[in-house]
Amino acid sequence: MSDVERRIKEVVARTLKIDVGRMTDESRFVEDLGAESIQSVELVAAFEEEFDIEMDDEEALEVKTVGKAIEFISKLL
Amino acid sequence: MKQATDYTALTQDQISTLQRQGCTAQDWTQVVVTQGFDPACIQQAHFMGQVEIGDLSGTITTPQGLAKPCGIYHATVMNCTVGRGCRIANVGVHIANYNIEAHVCIEHVGLMQTHPGATFGNGIEISVLNEAGGREIVLFDKLSAQFAYMMCLHRYRPKMVAKLKAMAMAHTEAVTSDRGTVGAHASLCGVKEIVDVNIGPWARVHQACSLQNGTLLSCEQGPTTVGADVIAHGFIVAEESSVTEGALLTEVFVGQGCRIGKQYSAEGSVFFANCEAFHGEAVSIFAGPYTVTHHKSTLLIAGLFSFYNAGSGTNQSNHMYKLGPCHEGKLLRGTKTGSFSYMMWPCRVGPFSVVLGKHSSNFDTADFPFSHLEARHDGKCMMVPGLHLTTVGTVRDGAKWPQRDRRQGCDKRDMIDFAVFSPYTIGKMIKAQTQLKALMDTTDKSVETVSIGGALVKRLILRTSQKYYRTGIEVYLREKLVQRIEHALAQGRDLKHALAVDDSAMASEDWIDLGGQLMPRQRLETFEEAIERGDLASVEAFQEALNKIHEAYEEDEWAWARAAYEQVFDVTIDAFTGESLQEAANAFVQVKSKFLNLVVADAGKEFAEMSQIGFGQDGTAEAVKGDFFEVRGDYEDNSFVRDMKRRVAELQSHIEHLNQQIQDKTTQENLC
Repeated sequence: MSDVERRIKEVVARTLKIDVGRMTDESRFVEDLGAESIQSVELVAAFEEEFDIEMDDEEALEVKTVGKAIEFISKLL
Repeated sequence: MKQATDYTALTQDQISTLQRQGCTAQDWTQVVVTQGFDPACIQQAHFMGQVEIGDLSGTITTPQGLAKPCGIYHATVMNCTVGRGCRIANVGVHIANYNIEAHVCIEHVGLMQTHPGATFGNGIEISVLNEAGGREIVLFDKLSAQFAYMMCLHRYRPKMVAKLKAMAMAHTEAVTSDRGTVGAHASLCGVKEIVDVNIGPWARVHQACSLQNGTLLSCEQGPTTVGADVIAHGFIVAEESSVTEGALLTEVFVGQGCRIGKQYSAEGSVFFANCEAFHGEAVSIFAGPYTVTHHKSTLLIAGLFSFYNAGSGTNQSNHMYKLGPCHEGKLLRGTKTGSFSYMMWPCRVGPFSVVLGKHSSNFDTADFPFSHLEARHDGKCMMVPGLHLTTVGTVRDGAKWPQRDRRQGCDKRDMIDFAVFSPYTIGKMIKAQTQLKALMDTTDKSVETVSIGGALVKRLILRTSQKYYRTGIEVYLREKLVQRIEHALAQGRDLKHALAVDDSAMASEDWIDLGGQLMPRQRLETFEEAIERGDLASVEAFQEALNKIHEAYEEDEWAWARAAYEQVFDVTIDAFTGESLQEAANAFVQVKSKFLNLVVADAGKEFAEMSQIGFGQDGTAEAVKGDFFEVRGDYEDNSFVRDMKRRVAELQSHIEHLNQQIQDKTTQENLC
């Protein structure tokens, strides 16, 4: 597991209050990990702070799984 | 209508005929008729006092569509004028002290009477917002949302409030009468009692239970309806409204184009244009234009609302069992409250916000529009500022309100500016953005939440919310500039002058939502000072001044938008070249497309897997998709989604065309 992947999973676990062990790359934030609407917003904000990046609102909408988040954020770093 | 010279005394033959038809009179000399009077159309009628009767020959078509003979049948009529072409039949007790205009149909009415000095619902003072008093509104039949708003909420200008009250009382005095009026073509059928009620032309009052001390304003283009089992005591119902289905009104003003029914109960409240209220209850509320409450168990109390939608079971408390019911709430325009939401007054909610859950703490988020306010388990309010800026509901609301204006016939008394994005909301967003940035810059990363006006905001969200507001601000300001350019080009005006502020415009940093009408603070202050000086001393003068403010909206808005544009983008519009105008237009395409795409994406949630829960009843997993498709349709084919996508697609070509026009024009004007 890369450092980015680990940190992303930690952010997800912290924001959604779930175990890191529950997550796979295919885990969908809403349907599988139970992210409510507001939590999705918090998740993006948490990624931005953790990696000191700015995620475009439109592009962030496409980030629907843990794997996509890893891929998307890795490109920004 | 009443002209004594039109009437003549009954002849002895006519009196004899009437007596043979079972009629009596206290004094036949007091019963006068117009020329050509035919006594055949009066049977079993009993006259008391002065009665003037017009030509009652012919028939009248009843509201049920039947042609029935005009005339007076089985009725006691006391001190009344009955206009031509009327039908009065089967009156239980009597009709006393009414001027009944032409072509009125009154059937099966129990009692109808006006007492001496009746005010017909005018002059009643009701305690709005603060149930314990101090914000009284005087009801009268020319009351507008703006008049009521200033009288109720601008108590910090006691001189002005006194002037407004004097206007309302002068009007009350002018309409005070010993005689009520039933306007031409009105129909009253199956009503138990009508006491001290003026009824406007073309009004329909059918099967109502009890109407006392009130006025029904009505006109041919916009008849007012009062329906079955309604009990209304101390009321004014304005044109094109309906109060039906057992509604219960006690000291209530119902403005134009409203719908109140299904056993709704309201007391000490005002409802302005296009409100809808069914099933629930209102106490001491100021329901500004488009306040909508449709569900049972919904209590609106001591609150200010407008462009509002109440979820089922919405409830508030205004009484902390200390000094009485003295707390008030203000839900600024466009707010929605979710099912079983609860708020403990005092609270103030910013425009176009959504309130969910049981809030047992007080908060003020007035300067944070489009926010999401959700109660935590401990009753504290958690806010996500600006979250609802790009939600599909906001965009749909903005489009639907103007289309749902039911005031089509009569003069519109309430002034309404419909814009969702205006100097009022954008000004708040600019301030909110600044405040959020200051908080973000000064809050340590170890802090989880910060408090804004008593609402908690997660520190992480501070940056996100700034982004939301930034998008809204940019869309609005860029769009205003582009619209100004387009307008100038269409009129053949030169761009330099078109982008200047008109001399008539009034610029203020703050804008006010005055009961549905938006205006710069300076306009309001000038207006209120004129009232205080006595320059605007009548209701008509008041209304005329508001009309002028309404007409000035576009130029006032541009004055504000131009100043905000320069401030936000740090530019000088006077120094704009053709190239910078094109750059601004291109920036508009970018940000507007982004905005619309976010709205489309929000609409997409309605088609996501979670929205398909419960579909495909008793079927397989495959049936879920099929069932959903048949019922809800396909995302790509949804009319709203298609419309938004079309707008995005057209935006680019539209701006390309505009840029070409700008280039041509600036070459002409040598603006480069």
